[in-house]
Amino acid sequence: MSETAQLFITCIIDTFYPEIGKAVVRVLQRLGVHLEFPAEQTCCGQPAFNAGMRQEARQIAMHTIRVFERTRGKVIVPSGSCTAMLQHGYLELFDAQPHWLERARALAARVVEFSQFLVDDLKVTDLGVSYAGKIAYHPSCHLLRSLGVDRQPRALLAAVRGAQIVPLPEASDCCGFGGVFSIEHAELSSAMLERKISNLLQSKASLVVTADAGCMTHINGALRRQRHPLRVVHLAQLLAGELVPEAD
Amino acid sequence: MSSPFRLRIRQALADANLQRALDNNAARRNAAREQVFSSLPEEFERMRQRAHQVRAEVISNLERYLAQFETQARRNGIQVHHAACAEQAVEIFLNIAQAHHARLIAKSKTMVSEEIGLNAALERHGLRVVETDLGEFIVQLRGEHPAHLVTPAVHLRREQVGETFREKLGVPYTDDVAEMTAVARDTLRQVFLQADIGVSGVNFGVAENGWLCLLTNEGNGRMVTTLPRVHVALMGIERLVPTMADLALMLYLLPRSATGQKITVYLSLICAPSGDDEGPQERHLILVDNGRLAMQRSALREALFCIRCAACLNACPVFRELGGHAYVGKEDEFTPYVGPIGALVSPALFGHARFAHLARASSLCGACAEVCPVGIDLPKLLLRVRAGLGSDTPSRRKPLPNPPTSIAIALKVFSWLASSARRFQLAALTAGLLGRLLSPHSKWMRLPAWTGWGMTRDVPRPARRTFRRRWKSLTQEEEIAGFKEDVEHSRAISEGGSTHSRSPDRAASLMERFADEWRALDGVFVFCRRESLAAKILEVLHEEHETTVLAWQEAYLPDGLLRELNAQGVHIIHRADAHARLGLTGADWAIAESGTLVLPGDAQRRLSVSLLPEIHLVVLEAKDILPDLPAAFERMRALTVPGIVLVSGPSRTADIEMTLTVGVHGPRKVIVFCLEPLEPGNE
Repeated sequence: MSETAQLFITCIIDTFYPEIGKAVVRVLQRLGVHLEFPAEQTCCGQPAFNAGMRQEARQIAMHTIRVFERTRGKVIVPSGSCTAMLQHGYLELFDAQPHWLERARALAARVVEFSQFLVDDLKVTDLGVSYAGKIAYHPSCHLLRSLGVDRQPRALLAAVRGAQIVPLPEASDCCGFGGVFSIEHAELSSAMLERKISNLLQSKASLVVTADAGCMTHINGALRRQRHPLRVVHLAQLLAGELVPEAD
Repeated sequence: MSSPFRLRIRQALADANLQRALDNNAARRNAAREQVFSSLPEEFERMRQRAHQVRAEVISNLERYLAQFETQARRNGIQVHHAACAEQAVEIFLNIAQAHHARLIAKSKTMVSEEIGLNAALERHGLRVVETDLGEFIVQLRGEHPAHLVTPAVHLRREQVGETFREKLGVPYTDDVAEMTAVARDTLRQVFLQADIGVSGVNFGVAENGWLCLLTNEGNGRMVTTLPRVHVALMGIERLVPTMADLALMLYLLPRSATGQKITVYLSLICAPSGDDEGPQERHLILVDNGRLAMQRSALREALFCIRCAACLNACPVFRELGGHAYVGKEDEFTPYVGPIGALVSPALFGHARFAHLARASSLCGACAEVCPVGIDLPKLLLRVRAGLGSDTPSRRKPLPNPPTSIAIALKVFSWLASSARRFQLAALTAGLLGRLLSPHSKWMRLPAWTGWGMTRDVPRPARRTFRRRWKSLTQEEEIAGFKEDVEHSRAISEGGSTHSRSPDRAASLMERFADEWRALDGVFVFCRRESLAAKILEVLHEEHETTVLAWQEAYLPDGLLRELNAQGVHIIHRADAHARLGLTGADWAIAESGTLVLPGDAQRRLSVSLLPEIHLVVLEAKDILPDLPAAFERMRALTVPGIVLVSGPSRTADIEMTLTVGVHGPRKVIVFCLEPLEPGNE
């Protein structure tokens, strides 16, 4: 079964974490997915959308729709947040433009989040990787609540050999990122982040896994500032068996 | 930069007392809510979809349902008034007050009265207004506004309440919650008895029969609608349900979502004026628009579905940091509507220019939408407020409020870059180079605090070679074969769906179910034969050293019961008496699933009998126990009485530090004498 699928890598992974992108590609290639990367892709437009700047968000959304219209197959996105933007946000954006709404719907139907694609489409949970230690899972908000994706990443984690999945107190509480919110309301955002970090430390995990680079950046940014050695990694990095200790 | 809202945020974050109180609130409320949802008769998701449809139907046809509701209410003898705006609502109220030469007004909790600024207006006209909900009472004594839709004093700790009582009521300081509650009870009892007008809100109006439904736990809502000569109800025009069946659906969801209760202690169904010389001779209903019709036609229409359970406040991580008082307008204006739903309703009703900034204080995490019992998509609506949709400002003007200028400019630039692959790549390349320059040795960079992000977080250095530039090489070193075989194609766990295995109530009879639920609510359940009923009641009288009983009329109690008691020296009275400590009633029906008694109220069966005395004795026939609320509503359709109250246990409050206290305004003890069913054949 060699399925052709498109990769929407997301701007944050593209720009800040190419190694996560590489991990995503590794995992999918090993499973026999024929992956394509439309080079014209940029960002899904969520930053402008969340800030209330719909005109700007529409510009980017139109660009993204055009880019993927030229391709076929599923569009795999290694981020719950960007997936939610493509699936729900675009429909809201083009609410009053029937022509574009139809095109947005067509794209939405093809979009699938990374862990969802592995578990629901490929029916895979065990990727044959191992990790010796305690793992806590941070369910990112849009993945959990906008997409309802929770059992998939957990099933993938449960199959990691040697890993002990430890419960995270108040796991589904937001880390306070929220894109532009983390800058515009930095104090509030930081207070929420502080709770998340104290829960992570309480869990005694040696590794935190999440499926969104946004939350990851936010939490790691504070862990690093506070000189905690604990780090958050993207699920794909764990599944690719490519957890390199961070060079500082 | 330092708007009143920002100052309030900083104050809230720095207030250790408040933070502790809010943590407690969130932890207790959310746990209680989760626990009680397992007792729903169907899956939550299914019920909430139905509730969503019911609310959508009402809001889509609001004018039609309003007309139907109003016709029915008038037919029942309720005087209906329309207020287009806050000022008009206040004026209507003042006219009613003047017509009755009113001086003392007793109020139960109503958010609409906060919305229209009723208290301040009445005080300006020389009227005395007393809030009677314990939380509201405390907040009023302190000269504050409520900090939460359901628990107004959520922001206070018990020591602060004790201090307020000492200072304002002149009682000795105590921080014992039960003692403080008793102080409030005694103070407010006088107010209930002397008030000229009772004011209440309305949880739901039922369009098909014009009834008003009011939910309370302490009993103050019953007091103000049962004792004063005039009752005025304030209601937002959107608070309608089409039918009693729809009401039943809402009642499964509202108390569970609000306080984690299956049902509130009191559920009053108010149909008409009292119909005899006791209690309200007039009932007025003021239907308040105040921006709702405009909202119904706007992009924020869905926010009108709200039934004010406040579950979104309890679930919201931002509310948990702030509490209600931080949600202020541009000029530090007050709004009663706070938390996630408040960030929608406040701008919609009171103007985007003044309140839309509230919608920006959200990480859009969706915890609010997850718990909303009527399925409002709050994040979607918050984004609409941010985009200036549903705003009253002309469309050619910039939407209000704009993001801070620096962010707006940055995002404009970013959006321009991201609309073209070439520009985007160039920008990423530049960022990568800049990153190397600024932080040659570390993958992390430190930004100054004024950037917002830099306040508490480091920022990762952009990659020198972006993913897109690595893509080619990635696909070339392709065949990492061998690995493929390692991968076990284990089937995904199928259907992660619900695990609400509802073990059938193992043939537990309705009576046993009722008794269990009733006892869980701190009610006393006594099973007895008809012959021993009088003796059992006398036992209670002896224990309490009482000889007087306030009772329903003979015809509605078991044959000869009052005569038997009378023969034993018990003094039976029927008129409301503030000194009677025991009340004796029947109950038309009981509801097994929630431990609820259904008591109609009219001249023979006065509602005050189950309300004023400290101890309420109820005679219930086992055959009258029904399985659930819809079954009870079905029977109640046939009742033609001025009012009905559903009682679930003794009155209670958790307004001080969420500490449960039994016996507020209503009875502190309720004893059900359940008579065994008649022999088959006798019936």
